[in-house]
Amino acid sequence: MRRVEPAVIASSVVALFVLAPVVVLFWLGYGADVDWRAESLRLTLNTLALTLLTVAGAVLIGVPLAFLTTYCELRKQGVWLALLTAPLAIPSYIGGFAYFAATGAGGEIALLTGVALPAVDGLPGTALVMTLYTFPFIVLTTRASLRQLDSRMVEAARCLGAGSKEVIARVILPRIRGGIAAGALIVALYTLSDFATPAILGFDTFTRSIFVEYNAFGLDRAALLSLQLLVLVGIVLALESRVGTERESTRCNITLRLTTSAYWLAVVFMSLVVTLTLALPAFVFAVWLARDGIAGFDPVLAWNSTYPALLAAVATVIVALPVAFAATQSRAGRLLERLATLGYGIPGIVMGTALIYVGLTFDYLYQSLALLIVGHILRFLPLAVGPLRTCAARLDKNVLFAARSLGARRLETIKRVSLPMLVPGAFAGGALVFLEVMRELPLTLLLRPTGMDTLTTELWQVYEAGYFGRAALPALCLIAISACALLMMFSSENRSDQLPGR
Amino acid sequence: MNRRSLLRGVATTGSVLALNGLAPMAFAAPVEHAPVTIERLPKLSGTLTLYLGRGEGGLYENILAAIERRNPDLKLKVRRGPSTALANALVAEARMSRVRADVFWSIDASSLGLVAEQSSPAPIPADLSAQLSPAYRYKRWLPISGRIRTLPFNTGRVSRAQLPATVMQLPESDLTFGWAPAYGAFQSFITAMRILEGEDATGAWLEALASKSKPYAGEFGVVMGVSRGEADLGFANHYYTLRLKQGNAQVPVDLGFTENDAGSLLNASGAVLLNDSDLATGFVRHLLTEQVQSFLAREAFEIPLVRGVQGPQGLPPVATLKPPAIDLEALSDLKPTLALLRRVGVL
Repeated sequence: MRRVEPAVIASSVVALFVLAPVVVLFWLGYGADVDWRAESLRLTLNTLALTLLTVAGAVLIGVPLAFLTTYCELRKQGVWLALLTAPLAIPSYIGGFAYFAATGAGGEIALLTGVALPAVDGLPGTALVMTLYTFPFIVLTTRASLRQLDSRMVEAARCLGAGSKEVIARVILPRIRGGIAAGALIVALYTLSDFATPAILGFDTFTRSIFVEYNAFGLDRAALLSLQLLVLVGIVLALESRVGTERESTRCNITLRLTTSAYWLAVVFMSLVVTLTLALPAFVFAVWLARDGIAGFDPVLAWNSTYPALLAAVATVIVALPVAFAATQSRAGRLLERLATLGYGIPGIVMGTALIYVGLTFDYLYQSLALLIVGHILRFLPLAVGPLRTCAARLDKNVLFAARSLGARRLETIKRVSLPMLVPGAFAGGALVFLEVMRELPLTLLLRPTGMDTLTTELWQVYEAGYFGRAALPALCLIAISACALLMMFSSENRSDQLPGR
Repeated sequence: MNRRSLLRGVATTGSVLALNGLAPMAFAAPVEHAPVTIERLPKLSGTLTLYLGRGEGGLYENILAAIERRNPDLKLKVRRGPSTALANALVAEARMSRVRADVFWSIDASSLGLVAEQSSPAPIPADLSAQLSPAYRYKRWLPISGRIRTLPFNTGRVSRAQLPATVMQLPESDLTFGWAPAYGAFQSFITAMRILEGEDATGAWLEALASKSKPYAGEFGVVMGVSRGEADLGFANHYYTLRLKQGNAQVPVDLGFTENDAGSLLNASGAVLLNDSDLATGFVRHLLTEQVQSFLAREAFEIPLVRGVQGPQGLPPVATLKPPAIDLEALSDLKPTLALLRRVGVL
């Protein structure tokens, strides 16, 4: 008889939890009258086009940056890394609105310099802004893969006469497909479920319809549309699962040396990205701040943002561990992992409403911190599963067998062999969840305990009313905390290099 | 220009009483229409849970802080959120018989209508309604402040003389427009047009304007778009223009008004009493005081609905505006409006 792996059992439980809000969606959407096939088709095509362009853009920017920050000797590497991943701290509606306000005739740039940049809007504009605020997902997941590569393969290729380009194209890239695909999946799901950016930049997507229905109190239609969107999510999940991950037994550090001109080219590229993602919104905020003056700011908002994000990050990594393990062990585990990923494709406002009903069923959960954390776990689970799975896939069964045959018990093997191998993935995944929770808005608005205001709810409040100057301080605070978290993550990442298991 | 901190907000709410609050009382309004001053209200004590649908960027915070300052024994638990999200949450709470809020204060009449309909609200005490203009005395929710639909226009491209007297004449002009069809306030405007002009006329109007209109996500965006010259004329609530001009007086945008049609619909923010306690009623009573009403007018550019309080600066005197006679409670029926907007392809 075949034994069912404990990881698969744990993973089934997680998948059941993720499916709970989907069941509520069916209940809410039951009986809704939606009859607009032509419209649905247009929205589907728009949504797919945006997703495709955004993923392509994010890969094109993210993968080179992951190489630069992992393999190349950069001065102030940690600072660059933090700067290049800090865009994850900027909520999409803030980034989107900064571009809307800065560009075009009469935009802030035109007012200041007299030269109007073309307006950033429509499909290209939305894809550009989405790309700029999602590419760090690719940087982080690709880095997690790159750091696991065996340098001896690279040395072997070099000995056989391969140049740097050839080494990258034929040795490294094929081996990090899984990491890139994991990042691309996150970018795709983010794009599918984000509402604010396309709405602000004037591009019609599925989420916009959902939001319109939600706002017009057509909760049943919003639920039904969300279920339709989940079909798209399912397609993306199926596509990504076709990308396999190479197994790597050992890892040694790889260094690619850059020529002086290439070095400066890289610095220019990185500076350009930082300018577009961070400096531009900072400039817009500064203009608004100067125009509106500084208003009061309550530091408790920062704490209210930080500790739920920390709790959610730790909890999500713990929940993600069995899911990631199961995914590497069997087809059933793989399927369960796909199911557990569905939550990221449900727009936050719909997920939040579904969880309100779940919370009201168990009264003590309603408007509790616990339900908010559960909501974050359900939605952001894939962010932690992706990097963990990439690491788990590299765990060589032979190493585990060796540990067992040397007398280590099952738990000891997990503790001393498996877990240390997963540390980079856990850090990358935890950081992603932390950053997403920090900037997340709709779930927080709907589920938080009454009276708990956070940086993002404050940002929403002033943005909604058109008081942009007041958004400057909470936004800067959000970015600063997130950047600190990233710096801490990268420094502990370096320490983890010295852990056993290599 | 400068936004007031909590302390200054409280200080000015007090001083207004002396500056402009007394003037209309003494000259214009009969004595029985004089707004109640906050000092005359009994002190509140206890814990009150307030669901606050939007808060105008913290301006409502100043009001809440002032009320708490005056009532040291009052503990306010405030849940802020988008009016629709809170309304949906309240509907869920009512469905499961677990309503947590004592008062729902929202900027949007349709969310108030929905909550009033799907929960079992306490009736509005007659003496509270009596403080409002007769057109705003409803049974299930209490209007607090108003916002009027306007036509913000780019002063560099359009002169006031070019503006027609009614929105229904707009299709004949050769202007370009900016609108936000996904935005709640715009949908209320179209709902009002449906009620006043009929389904067919509204459909024809939307079709005629669709090709000449640029869509925006929200109405602040509409006003910004008009100020940049992306459109000649927009459709937006009045206060977005006033707030934009507060930040930068040079912005080439001004407010146009129509007469007795949906184009000058006066919509209201208000409160639903979800608890018939003296505390909940007493809290709402504070919102109708002279001080709070003046503060809303001065700082948030909202139109006070209590008789005898001066309107916001930058807006013509409230008495000269000509909003259509329409029952705001009828505006919560959004489904036919959405169907219409979709049929003509603007949503």
